[in-house]
Amino acid sequence: MDNIAGTKSSLTWAVHITVVLLVALWVFPTVGLLVSSFRTGDQISTSGWWRAAFPTEQTMQFRTAGADEAIEEDGVWTLTGNVFDGSGTDPLTISAWGTSSRTPNAYEAGEMVEDDGESWTVLENGDYTYTSTEEPSRRGERFFGSALVAPEFTFGNYQRMLFDPSNVQGMSQAFFNTLTVSIPATIIPIVVAAFAAYALAWMEFPGRALLIAAVVGFLVVPLQLALIPLLRLHNAIGIGKGYMGVWLAHTAFGLPLAIYILRNYMVGLPRDIIENARVDGATDFQIFMRIILPLSFPALAAFAIFQFLWTWNDLLVALVFLIDSSGKTTVMTRQIIELLGTRGGDWEILATAAFVSMAVPLAVFFLMQKYLVRGLLAGSVK
Amino acid sequence: MTRTITARLGAGVAALALMAGTAGAQSLMFPIDEGDFNWDSYHEFADATDLSGQSLTISGPWLSVDQELFESVLAYFEEATGADVSYVGSDSFEQQIVIDVEAGSAPNIGVFPQPGLLNTLANRGLVTPMPEGTEEWIAENYAAGQSWVDLATFEGPEGEEDLYGLFYKADVKSLVWYIPENFEDAGYEIPETMEDLKALTEQIVEDGETPWCIGLGSGGATGWPATDWVEDMVLRTQPPEVYDQWVSHEIPFNDERIVNAISEFGYFLQDDFVAGGSQAVASTDFRDSPQGLFSFPPQCYMHHMASFIPSFFPEGTVVGEDADFFYFPAYEEEDLGQPVLGAGTVFAITDENEAANAFMQFLQTPIAHEIWMAQSGFLTPLTTVNTDLFGDPTLGRMNEILLDATTFRFDGSDLMPGAIGAGAFWTGMVDFAGGASAQEAADEIEDAWAAIDQ
Amino acid sequence: MNPVFQGVLAIAVAVAGCGAYFYLSNLFLDRVLYPPTGRDPGRNVNRANAIRPWLFLAPAILFLALYLGYPVIETLRLSVTDRVPGGFVWAGFDNYAQMSRESKFWEAFRNNLLWLIVVPAVSTALGLLVAQLTDRISWGNVAKSLIFMPMAISFVGASVIFKLIYDYRPASQEQIGVLNAVWLQFDGGLASVLVLRVVPGLLLAGFIAAAAWLIWAMLEPVLLGRRKQGALSILLRAALSLGALFLIWRAVTSIIGLALVDLPYGQPQTWLTIPFWNNFFLMVVLIWIQTGFAMVLLSAALRGIPDETVEAAIVDGAGPFQIFFRIKVPQIAGTIAVVWTTITVTVLKVFDIVYAMTNGQWETQVLANYMYDKLFRSNDWGVGSAAAIVIMLLVTPILVWNIYNARREMR
Repeated sequence: MDNIAGTKSSLTWAVHITVVLLVALWVFPTVGLLVSSFRTGDQISTSGWWRAAFPTEQTMQFRTAGADEAIEEDGVWTLTGNVFDGSGTDPLTISAWGTSSRTPNAYEAGEMVEDDGESWTVLENGDYTYTSTEEPSRRGERFFGSALVAPEFTFGNYQRMLFDPSNVQGMSQAFFNTLTVSIPATIIPIVVAAFAAYALAWMEFPGRALLIAAVVGFLVVPLQLALIPLLRLHNAIGIGKGYMGVWLAHTAFGLPLAIYILRNYMVGLPRDIIENARVDGATDFQIFMRIILPLSFPALAAFAIFQFLWTWNDLLVALVFLIDSSGKTTVMTRQIIELLGTRGGDWEILATAAFVSMAVPLAVFFLMQKYLVRGLLAGSVK
Repeated sequence: MTRTITARLGAGVAALALMAGTAGAQSLMFPIDEGDFNWDSYHEFADATDLSGQSLTISGPWLSVDQELFESVLAYFEEATGADVSYVGSDSFEQQIVIDVEAGSAPNIGVFPQPGLLNTLANRGLVTPMPEGTEEWIAENYAAGQSWVDLATFEGPEGEEDLYGLFYKADVKSLVWYIPENFEDAGYEIPETMEDLKALTEQIVEDGETPWCIGLGSGGATGWPATDWVEDMVLRTQPPEVYDQWVSHEIPFNDERIVNAISEFGYFLQDDFVAGGSQAVASTDFRDSPQGLFSFPPQCYMHHMASFIPSFFPEGTVVGEDADFFYFPAYEEEDLGQPVLGAGTVFAITDENEAANAFMQFLQTPIAHEIWMAQSGFLTPLTTVNTDLFGDPTLGRMNEILLDATTFRFDGSDLMPGAIGAGAFWTGMVDFAGGASAQEAADEIEDAWAAIDQ
Repeated sequence: MNPVFQGVLAIAVAVAGCGAYFYLSNLFLDRVLYPPTGRDPGRNVNRANAIRPWLFLAPAILFLALYLGYPVIETLRLSVTDRVPGGFVWAGFDNYAQMSRESKFWEAFRNNLLWLIVVPAVSTALGLLVAQLTDRISWGNVAKSLIFMPMAISFVGASVIFKLIYDYRPASQEQIGVLNAVWLQFDGGLASVLVLRVVPGLLLAGFIAAAAWLIWAMLEPVLLGRRKQGALSILLRAALSLGALFLIWRAVTSIIGLALVDLPYGQPQTWLTIPFWNNFFLMVVLIWIQTGFAMVLLSAALRGIPDETVEAAIVDGAGPFQIFFRIKVPQIAGTIAVVWTTITVTVLKVFDIVYAMTNGQWETQVLANYMYDKLFRSNDWGVGSAAAIVIMLLVTPILVWNIYNARREMR
C-alpha cells in the first residue's frame, strides 16, 4: 500500500508542477507586455523585459562642444567639457569609449588616445578633453561611450498615451469612443434577443424548427461578406457612418449567439412553473416579464459579457461602420493598428496602448467570470 | 543599441514642438506677412473665398509627422476661409477609401498615394473631375506640366477623358541615404556610378560590415519599397521606352528584361549585403529600417529610399549633417544617362462640395506649397514657389536631382492597376525577398495581371 | 451631440422602445384584434396565440434577415457577376475559375485547412488537459481563471503581445523577443537535440496515435456493422477519417523533416517569415486565446460525470490514465464535439490575427484575409465574393451538424 500512496503523491506533485508551468506559459506573454509598458524606450531596446530589473549596458553617442568654444594655443585647439552637462540625464559612469562608430567601445575610461594630430581623453565621470592641430568642426566632434544604466520604471508612457492632449496618437478619445460603441451595442441585442428566445423556447408555432435552424446557421456566417452591402444600406436610409450604424450592426451580428444562448437556457427552465402560470391565466407577455426574465439572469449576464468583450475588441465592424473622416470616431483597436504601422518599433508606446485597451475587458472578465462560465455552459452544454 | 542620448534629448524637444504644433491648431507655423513667402497669393485667395461655417473632410495616408506637417498647411486654409477642416490619416488608406467611396460615405477629398487606384475609382464614376481650368493651370505652372496632367487624366464611367486629380507633394525616389561621419570613419567615398556602388558594397562586406538596410514592411502595403528598387533598376538597365511599355503592360511582366532588373535588385538582397540577412528584409518595417544607419556600431551604411524618409530618422537628426543622401547612380557602361524615379500624392474630390473645390484652388497657390517646403520632406513641381524657402538645403539638392534628370519617370507601381501595383507586385516582391527566384516572382505577377486584363 | 449622451439616449430609446413595442403589440392583439370575447372567444384566443410568437420574433427576424440573410444572397449574386462601368453583368463561374487559377487562393486554402485542423485540436487537447489537471487541486480555480484570461484580450492586442515575443534583432544586438532569446540558448548539444528534436518528435508521435485512434473510432461501427448507420453519418465519419489520415501523413513528414533539418543554431530568427512554420506561430495566438474557452466547457463536463462511474473503475483497478481515457473522455465526447466545432467556426472567421501580424505574406494567407484583400485592395468584388462563398461552403458541414443536433434536441 505504501507503494501506491507513494506514486499517488508523486503524481500529485507532477500535476501541480505541470499546472504551474502551464499557467506560467499562459500568463508570461501578457506580463511581458505589462512590464514593457512601464519601461522607457531605451531600456526596452537594450534588454529583454525579463531582465527589466537589472541594469543594462548602453552605448551612447556624444559630441564635444562646437568650434566656437575651442581654445586655440600654438596651433592646437582644445575642447573640454562634460558629456552629461545639460543633457538632462543623471550622470552615469562611463566604462568604455571610442571615437569611431565601428568600435564605439575601443578604449577604457581614463585612457588617453593620440592619433593623427588629435588626442582624446574621456574620464569615468564624463569629462572629456579633445585636442587637435586642425580647427574642430562647427558642430563638435563625435564620440561614443558606454555606461551601465540603472533600471528605470516610469508611468510616463501612460501619461503620454492617456493624458497628453497634444499627442495626436493618444488613446483617451479612442477609449471613450470604444466605451460609447460597446455599451449600447451590448444592451440593445439583449432586449431584442430575449423576446425572440422566449418565443423559440416556449411557444408552439409552425416554422419554429426552421427558425431555430436559421439562427444556428447564422451563427457561422462570416461577417466580412456583410460589410459593403450593409454600409450601402446604411447610407441609403440616411444613417451613414456613425454610432447609430455601428450599434445596429453589432446588434444584428450579436443576435444569433444571444438567441442561441438564451433559448438554450430558457428551454432548461422547469416546465411546471410556466404551465402553472398559464393555468393561472397569465399571458405570455406576463410570463416572460415576471418569470422567464428574472430566472434567465445568468444567461443574460453571460451573453452581456460576451457581447461586451466582442464589441470592445472589435476592429472590422468599427472600421467599416463607424470610423469616418471627421477623425473624432476612432476606436482603440484601430489606434493600435495604426501605431503598429507607424511606430512598429516603439514597444513602449505599443505596449502601453495595448494595455490601455485591455484593462477594461480584463477587469470585466475577472469580476464577472462566474457569469461568463455559467452562460457558456448554458449556451453549449446540454 | 539603436538610440542615443541625442535621440533622447531630441525626443524632448520634439515633444515640445509637438505641443506647440497642436496648440497652434489655430495659430500658424509662420506668421502671415513675415518672411519670403508668397503672401500675396494667400491674401488673394483669402479675399476671394469665404467658407465660414462650412466643413471639409480629407483623408489620406499621412500619419504622425507627415500628418502634423499637412495640418500645418491646413491651418492656413482654415484661417483664410473660415472653413472647418479635418484630416484623418490611415495606414491602410487604400482599403479604407475604397470601402468609403463604394458605400457613398467618402470624405470630401482623398489624398491618393497611387494614381492607379484613383484611375480605378474614376472608371467607376466614384470621383468628381477637377474644376474647369485646373488642367490649364497645371500645364502652365508645373515643371513638365503636361506630364502631370496626363498622370491624373482617366476615363470616366462613360468613357470620356477628364482630369481627376491634382498632384501636391512630390518625392524623388532614386536616393541613397548615409551617415557622412560613418563614411568618414571608415574611409568610404560616395559612388558616382553603379559600378562604384557595387564595388563599395562589396568593400564594406570585405571590411566585415553590412552595407545595406532594406525594409519592406508597411502594414497592409508590405512590399512596396521593393517596387521602387525594381523600377530604379529597370530605368538603369533599359531605355525609358521599355519602362513605359512595362508599366502599361505592353510587354509582359515576366519579360526577360524585367526579370533581369528584378535580379539586379536581388544582388543587393544577398545575405551578407543587408542588415539582418535577406530573411529579415521583408519583415522589417520601412520606417524602422533607416534606424540601422544610426546605431553604433552601424548596422548598415546605406539605405535606398525616397525623399520623405527623413521624417522617420531619429528625432533631432539634422539632415545634411547627421545624415545625408546621394543620387542612386546609373551604370556607366549602359549609357542611359541619369534616370530619376519620382512619385507624388494626388488630391481628388471624392465627395464634392464648395469647400472641396475651394481647397483645390488653395492647392494652386504658391503659399500652400511653401508652408510645407519650408519645414521638411516636401518637394514640388510648382515653378512659382520661392526655392530659397526649402526647410533644409538637402531639399534644394533633391530638387536639383529632379532638374538634372535626363530621364524622369513616375513610380510605375503607382500607375499599374491597383490589383497589380498595390497587390500582386507587392506580394511578388515579398516572395522574391523570401527566396523565390526572380522568374517565379515575375511569373506570379504576370499571371495576376493577365487575369484582370481578360 | 456628445457621443456619450447619444449612447445613453440610444440605450434608453432602444430599451423603452422595445418594451413598448412588445407590450403595446401584445395589448393590441389581445384587446383589439382578437379579444377573447365576442362570438367565438376560443377561436380568437387561438388566433391571437398563432400570431403572438411572430410579434415576439419580429424585431429579431428583421435584424437577422437584413444584416445576415440579405448579405449572403448579395454575396452569392456578386460572386457570379462581373463589374463593368455602370453596373454588373452575369459572369457565370468565371470568378471561381479565375480564383482557382490563382496560387494565392490555393495557398490560403491549404493554410486554412491547416488552421482548421491544428487550432481546434490543440486548443481542445490543451483545454482538456488543464481541465483534468486543475480539477482536483486546491488552487485549480485560480489557475483556470488565469488560463481563461486571454479570452478577454482582443485579437489586435494579442497580436501586439505576440509580435513582442517573436521580435527579431540582428545577432550583434541584445534580443528583446523571448523566443529568439530562448533560441539563442540552444547550441546544438545534447540538450538541444533533446528539446528540439526528441520531444517534438514524441509529441508528433502521440499526435499520430491520437489521429489513428480517431480513425478507428470513426470507422469501427461502420466496418463492424454493429449499429445501422445513416448515410449522413457514414459520410461524416469517412470525411473525418480522411482528414485524420491527411494529418497523419503531415505528421510523419514533419517527424522526418525534424530529424533531418539542419537547425541554424546561434542565428536569431525572423519567426514570422519562415514559410510553413510561420503558420504555426500565428496559430499559437489563437490557441492561446481559445484554450481557456475549451477548458471551461470541458471542466464542467468532467464534473458532470457521476462519481460512481469513476469509483467503480478504481475498484476494478484502473490507473489514472486509464480512467481518464477509457472512462472520462468517452463520457464527455459530446462536449468535446461542441468545443471543437465552436473553435472551428472561430478559426474560419478570424482574420484580425493574420491581418495584424503578417497580412498574408510569407505564405501565411488564409481565406478570410484573402477575401478582404480581393474586396478592398484589388477591388475585385467578384473574386472576393467567390472566396466568401468558399468560406460559407467550408462551414456548411458544421452548420448542418449544428442544425441536426438542434433539431434532435427539440424532439
